[in-house]
Amino acid sequence: MNSIEVSGLTKRYGRVEALGGADLSVGRGEVFGLVGPNGAAKTTLIKGLVGALRPSSGTARVMGLNPLEDRAELRQRIGYMPQGAALYEDLSAGDNVGFFGAAHRTPDLKKKVDEVMHFTELSGRADDPVHTFSGGMKRRVSLACVLVHRPEVIFLDEPTAAVDPQLRSRFWKTFRELARDGTTLFISTHLMDEAMLCDRIAILRSGMIIASDTPRSILENGRTRLTVEQDGTEEEQTIGGHPEDLAAALRPYGLQPGVTAIDVETDSLEAVVLSLIEKEEIG
Amino acid sequence: MRRTVLVARRVVRQLLRNPRFLVLSVAAPLVIVYLLKIFFDTLPEAFDVARYAVPVAAFLVHFLAFLLCAISLVQERTMGTMERMFVNGFRRTEIIAGYVLGFLGLATFQAVAGLAEAIWLFELDYDGETLGMLFVVVWLLAIASVMLGIFISTFARHEGQVFPFVPLIILPSVFLSGLLVDVDELPRWADWLGHAFLLFWANDVIQDVIESGWTFEDVQGSLAVLVAYSVALLVLASLTLREVE
Repeated sequence: MNSIEVSGLTKRYGRVEALGGADLSVGRGEVFGLVGPNGAAKTTLIKGLVGALRPSSGTARVMGLNPLEDRAELRQRIGYMPQGAALYEDLSAGDNVGFFGAAHRTPDLKKKVDEVMHFTELSGRADDPVHTFSGGMKRRVSLACVLVHRPEVIFLDEPTAAVDPQLRSRFWKTFRELARDGTTLFISTHLMDEAMLCDRIAILRSGMIIASDTPRSILENGRTRLTVEQDGTEEEQTIGGHPEDLAAALRPYGLQPGVTAIDVETDSLEAVVLSLIEKEEIG
Repeated sequence: MRRTVLVARRVVRQLLRNPRFLVLSVAAPLVIVYLLKIFFDTLPEAFDVARYAVPVAAFLVHFLAFLLCAISLVQERTMGTMERMFVNGFRRTEIIAGYVLGFLGLATFQAVAGLAEAIWLFELDYDGETLGMLFVVVWLLAIASVMLGIFISTFARHEGQVFPFVPLIILPSVFLSGLLVDVDELPRWADWLGHAFLLFWANDVIQDVIESGWTFEDVQGSLAVLVAYSVALLVLASLTLREVE
């Protein structure tokens, strides 16, 4: 059974259609990225999956459960890290984590709080009020609040927005560790280098999923600029992004001694995503 | 019930960790009652201070309990913690009941402090039964004000949107509740409108008990209205607080 199944999910606000029929599935232990520009409805889709939003039509299942009808059972099994910090600034980091942990009747709560504070490297600041923390530390507290009850599926809405590269790398190490233990992670991001770290991604534009695959497969939709220097002259050509396209383009050159340099410049994921969005807009 | 207690404990802990908030909510009414004393001292001796002292203290408790509770709940929404509570399994009734419980302590303290200062400063001489009833009515008013704050907070998207409700709901109650002028002297429609405000019923009880020879039968009707008001606001707040967008 997949952890997440979405079919034809839509959300309308009056005449505005924010989400226009999303379909996707996410397997257990998978790190799934929801990629798209601001306003693409990433948050809307996540809210629909955690039961914070009532869809206009379509179905969503998380661990086989309906996010609205089965919310009491589902909420014990999922974790949700919103885009903002969503913390009680007057309370300490430990109190925040303890409050959300207690909501789930987490056994050995104190021990679990200590564990997640250690895991997010906040043990030394557990008793300090959150309003004294930097933005990055607040994101870590927010993540600790999600992890304390050991959810099976975690929804993270732009978890690394406005955090430094070092902390981002630490977050991704954490995500990978969780996925290795069987936790499913559903992560929204507009950062393409992060999307590359996901097992699979879906590209969302104006509420529509325009592509869904592994980052590598999506990259194959891009172009490769090949420059071959042979006998003192440069030959340039643009080929497809698939590895077989490169092999075919190089075959005529063989391994002749006259070939002195080969330069291969492939489209970045960002360029591929932008071109897919462009194609969608024209189409 | 367990989650209600969790919310209440968290609200109390937040209040205790925010000295500015606590000072504002407790010290401000005390200072204002003192300023009122200075003002009343300038009036002729024949002026009936007792008619105004306790109702003004009650109004201050009403105003602050409403405002602080409404703002706290709106902050929950703007900070995203309300949504986070819902996703973590809290139900709206648990959140509202937790807030009522959490603010109960503050409301009680405000009622005791405001009333004690008014009685001491204005040298009011009441028997134990009257003092007890004055406390009960100010306390009930404070609880109802917390409910009103919870209800009004559901209409505000951010803290600033709470303030238009002050001239709309709180200030008219001063003019139409019988606090400043006898309601019988107001036009009929204004008299009727005055009945819609919490302060009207609280003031009605206060005016009855500060006159000698009151009985419980004299005040039970207005007390019942205050309780009914609280329950109605609680139900309305439960219906208007949305768990799902």
